[in-house]
Amino acid sequence: MFKDLNPILHSQLRLAVMSLLISVKEAEFTFIKEKTNSTAGNLSVQIQKFKEAGYIEVKKEFKDNYPNTTCKITPQGIAAFEEYVKTLQQYLNVKHK
Amino acid sequence: MRLLKNYIMATETQFSERQSLELITTMINKAKNDYVETGISALMWGSIVTFCSLASFINYYFQWQWTKYIWYLAIIAVIPQVIISVREKRKRKYKTYSEDAMGGIWISFGVAMFLLIYFVNTFKVQHNEPLFLIIYGFPTFATGYARSFKAMIVGGIACWVFAVISMYIEFPYTMLLEAGAAQLAWFIPGLILRRRYRRARQHV
Repeated sequence: MFKDLNPILHSQLRLAVMSLLISVKEAEFTFIKEKTNSTAGNLSVQIQKFKEAGYIEVKKEFKDNYPNTTCKITPQGIAAFEEYVKTLQQYLNVKHK
Repeated sequence: MRLLKNYIMATETQFSERQSLELITTMINKAKNDYVETGISALMWGSIVTFCSLASFINYYFQWQWTKYIWYLAIIAVIPQVIISVREKRKRKYKTYSEDAMGGIWISFGVAMFLLIYFVNTFKVQHNEPLFLIIYGFPTFATGYARSFKAMIVGGIACWVFAVISMYIEFPYTMLLEAGAAQLAWFIPGLILRRRYRRARQHV
């Protein structure tokens, strides 16, 4: 019996954001926006969803007199991502058989 | 607006497991390949240590007064190094886990160098070049190994090989080994990093 894929992660933009954040310690909003080719508005909405789920930590501060948002994946986010990848692998293994 | 929402919904439902896995791989590679060092620090230290070593070597024959103080240049160079590090850190839009580890290694190298210089000068330790070469090799090899950067792995090993050779030869020839070590450990890797950095900037 397969588990359902986590709906919070199973979306193109949200998965792209999590994959990026899992590879780094923390990243600025502009970096995530640039790498995911997303719009600021859409990205803000997705980041808010992650924040509410407890998957990422959002830090707002000033850098060179400009507001700067930094995102960091939480241990809960890492666990959810690992679980998602495991489930994906299960699906793909069955499809190969 | 509704059309756009429908389109997003449609693309999201068509998002297969294979596409998910491909997306994860792509994004991880994007983050991995984004990290490009400027190479400025490596070039600076490679040049300074080479210059000071060659000046000490030449001084043995010409006895120029100014070359006696040439190694103070390496101490003064800590100031631009701090400025470079702070600026590079500010420019970076993300932090990696390895960055912290590398920072720790190079700070410990700086402290070790400071203590070694103090020890060598206070107790007038003669034939001290092997000690310096052994220490040069440690952060260079560690950085090369952690970043899979062959030029620095070779540079680190070269420092240790030169350290062994310098145990059996006398000053001023040990200074030529120091210059060679600085070239292999920092200057040449610095040139490679610089070239990579420029190429990466052109693609942005």
